[in-house]
Amino acid sequence: MNNRSMKKYAPIFLLPTMIAFTIGFIAPFILGVYLSFCEFTTVTDAKFVGLKNYLRFWNDPSDVFLHSLWFTALFTIVTVLLINVLAFAVALALTKKIRGTNLFRTVFFMPNLIGGLVLGYVWQLLLNGILAQFQRNLKYDELYGFLGLVILMCWQQIGYMMIIYISGIQNIPGELIEAAKIDGATPRQILKNVTIPMVMPSITICTFLTLTNSFKLFDQNLALTDGDPSKMSEMLALNIYNTFYGRSGWEGVGQAKAVIFFLLVAAIALVQNYLTRSKEVQQ
Amino acid sequence: MNARKAKHGWIWTLFFSILSVLWVFPIVLVFINSFKKKAYISRAPFQIPTDKMFVGWDNYVNGIEKTNLIEAFGCSVFITVFSVAAIILFCSMTAWYICRVKTKVTTTIYYLCLFSMIVPFQMVMFTLSKIANMLKLGNPVGIIVVYLGFGAGLSVFMFVGFCKSIPLEIEEAAMIDGCNPLQTYFRVVLPIMKPTCVTVTILQAMWIWNDYLLPSLVLDQKRWKTIPMAVQYLKGGYGSVDMGAMMGTLVIAIIPIIIFYIACQKYIIEGVVAGAVKG
Amino acid sequence: MMRRFKKYFAAAMSAAMVAGLAVVPVQAEEAAGSVYYLNFKPEQAEQWEALAEAYTEETGVPVTVVTAASGTYESTLKSEMAKDEAPTMFQVNGPVGLASWKDYCYDLKDSELYSYLKSDDFALKDGDAVLGIAYVIETYGIIYNKALLADYCATEGAVIKDASEITSFETLKAVAEDIQAKKDELGVLGAFTSAGMDSSSDWRFKTHLANLPIYYEYQADGIASTDAIKGTYLDNYKAVWDLYINNATCEPSMIASMTGEDAAAEFALGEAVFYQNGTWAYGDITGNEVADEDLGMLPIYIGVEGEENQGLCTGSENYWCVNAKASEEDIQATLDFMNWVVTSDTGRASLANEMGFETPFTTFTDEYGAENPLLDAANEYIDAGKKSVAWCFTTMPSEEWKNGVGSALLEYAQGTGEWDGVVTAFVDGWASEVAATK
Repeated sequence: MNNRSMKKYAPIFLLPTMIAFTIGFIAPFILGVYLSFCEFTTVTDAKFVGLKNYLRFWNDPSDVFLHSLWFTALFTIVTVLLINVLAFAVALALTKKIRGTNLFRTVFFMPNLIGGLVLGYVWQLLLNGILAQFQRNLKYDELYGFLGLVILMCWQQIGYMMIIYISGIQNIPGELIEAAKIDGATPRQILKNVTIPMVMPSITICTFLTLTNSFKLFDQNLALTDGDPSKMSEMLALNIYNTFYGRSGWEGVGQAKAVIFFLLVAAIALVQNYLTRSKEVQQ
Repeated sequence: MNARKAKHGWIWTLFFSILSVLWVFPIVLVFINSFKKKAYISRAPFQIPTDKMFVGWDNYVNGIEKTNLIEAFGCSVFITVFSVAAIILFCSMTAWYICRVKTKVTTTIYYLCLFSMIVPFQMVMFTLSKIANMLKLGNPVGIIVVYLGFGAGLSVFMFVGFCKSIPLEIEEAAMIDGCNPLQTYFRVVLPIMKPTCVTVTILQAMWIWNDYLLPSLVLDQKRWKTIPMAVQYLKGGYGSVDMGAMMGTLVIAIIPIIIFYIACQKYIIEGVVAGAVKG
Repeated sequence: MMRRFKKYFAAAMSAAMVAGLAVVPVQAEEAAGSVYYLNFKPEQAEQWEALAEAYTEETGVPVTVVTAASGTYESTLKSEMAKDEAPTMFQVNGPVGLASWKDYCYDLKDSELYSYLKSDDFALKDGDAVLGIAYVIETYGIIYNKALLADYCATEGAVIKDASEITSFETLKAVAEDIQAKKDELGVLGAFTSAGMDSSSDWRFKTHLANLPIYYEYQADGIASTDAIKGTYLDNYKAVWDLYINNATCEPSMIASMTGEDAAAEFALGEAVFYQNGTWAYGDITGNEVADEDLGMLPIYIGVEGEENQGLCTGSENYWCVNAKASEEDIQATLDFMNWVVTSDTGRASLANEMGFETPFTTFTDEYGAENPLLDAANEYIDAGKKSVAWCFTTMPSEEWKNGVGSALLEYAQGTGEWDGVVTAFVDGWASEVAATK
């Protein structure tokens, strides 16, 4: 009875979301997969060409997709490590009884709310200003662009991850640490054997968030270096964008790259999910 | 023991104070440069604007005029407020229904939502912008549909997570009192879901307000710009970059966010924590 | 409670709709036709917007002007053309551009605009059909500050006594290097302005400067375009590029982020003597330290035999086209707008005086001669019987090719790459881009 009366209302509950979801996700996704096997300039003139698009950027020496992939992978590893270690350290310090912790938290969290594009231009001014003292600039070498992006990303994300770690640390029952102290554990031992295992869920979440944020980075990349010099600081998302909109006749290739990008992101998510599950079983 | 703690605390406070100053320095730097004559900004970014360099509000006036910033601001507010409202209303309805009625259809929808969370925007950006154009969604009202569609995955997922914890008895009581499902939903379920609504609002608003790529591809740029689009337009639209107008625009783009943040700090931080734990 | 909710809900929805209407202007202009001009020239973006506004005020016909960012015109045009509100008026840069947009070009043979054109040299034709009409004739070279150069000539041991002695690359190089050595004495920061490789400035080198080796190669081989460039004159290209980057206001390692505005400011403030750019740069220079009568222009000498007779680089890469796929009303509205631009007082004044264009239309009578000393300098060379250098860069295979050459130039300048990189991008890149776009 209950269920039957619910079902009568299905259109009201489901349709608005589902129509939008179809327009905003399902249809573009399916069409996107299909178009990656096509040559096209607009959606309507697509011609099926099989795997040609996938081979084209692989074989073209002027295409930097592979370089972008390595650049992005390295960037992701460096930022995930740096952000999580630093955010955790700051969170530990700010859960101690120190004057002004609330103010510090507020300040550190703030950069998150500002958009990546705006932040990119803010840091471009600062970093170019500093580098100019040494007759250099961000577009001089990909290394500068890389370091610039790392600094920017750390600055933006540390506050966010810090907040999550703080809530994780605060959820550790006080008795647990007291008990460890009574047992004569050193602060280092407490950190290693009590704090870190207890905030493991937060670590998992933060790793996942930083991982996907870094891997999918676009706005900051566009604003800070725009891929210069010679596309050498172009990350995957920007590379795909430039292939789509920067080169005539390469739309299909852009879509093929996007499919590969999607598979990579999905793989990361699945591995992460698997690891989380196996951890939960242990607990 | 006590004395040692206090001494430590003093050092930490000093350390974090310095760090905080460094943390806000980039934004302060932009603020300082926004009062500098444009030719001096890239040459001497670290100098305080003096007589020759000082231009008063010129950069702000320039930035606002060149980018139509006031309109862009209105556009951003409109899109963010109504997209988030649509997401909250429709996604929570869908989520509750999915939770209560288990059929093949609802299960499929749930897994599709899960799936959409791992698909990066680049995968659909080209086709999405074409479809939106064909359906004439390239305006601030139409883009709400796009945001609802692309944002549905995460929101439905979070609402479903919360729905599972709502005890059935309350709803059943309402049904017995003669409420139809729609009434039950609005009278009973939605009020209970308020905390999740706050979380979803915070997360989605942060995303939509700052989003550059989606609106730049979907919106008809001739007529409407959001704030990130206005900032990027300044970079490209006039051939050479007017650093002065750029600084002014950046400051105007940042200030409302900081004010909003200081006013709603508690909710924002709680929302982020809750969102992270569930996501 | 339900009723109260409904009331709130209705109020919220109507508020949303009112707000929606406020943001979305009601489209009443459907029937009359409208104009959407995708402008190529960022330097004149503001003037075009003002002109569009003036036209709308006068006639009520809506005109939208959108300016594509520097270096992105092709991609912007491509994405805009795919939309259903496509540009009704756009432009192509010459034969290469026309080839890809031919299907979209309305035949302007019977248009009033075409009847005002001084000569068919300024039209892009396909058989009998007139598909594009040039609206501006431009000239570029090395703009110089006459006052500063005269100061230099007066210094001890100056290589030349008068600017007119510079008629070859050798002399130009000697002068520039000597100025660079005496920069403190002359009160300048360098002989040349910064060779900025930011996208707002890199076209000066990857497109305009690259025109010269291409031009001379075409001359030597007696051709007008090619599928395979040989790069005969690339050593000369290198020599000029070296001269630019080593005798400039800034270190070569800094040029990656220098913008077009930086270079214009340096010249306008009298910090540099030479500035490679064209007649369109007048607007950026005027009204600063350099007086209008101190503006001169030299040919870009690259050290080729017989270059003392070389003139400035003159041509057009700006041809107006009307979108043939637009609705009839929109095409008519666009043609009317174009006519108004070249016949009305407002339009002519804007084009000639504010934008500083020399136009190929008969409607621009003497009182609408462009007020631009750089154009006068250009005409002096033509009057003196020097041979103008044609704009061969309209035959460059693609934007991607230009970008490749630009990146290689930058890396060479910074010392992070070799000159070989430029050669590869120039020669091999040409062949592969021709192949890719066919």
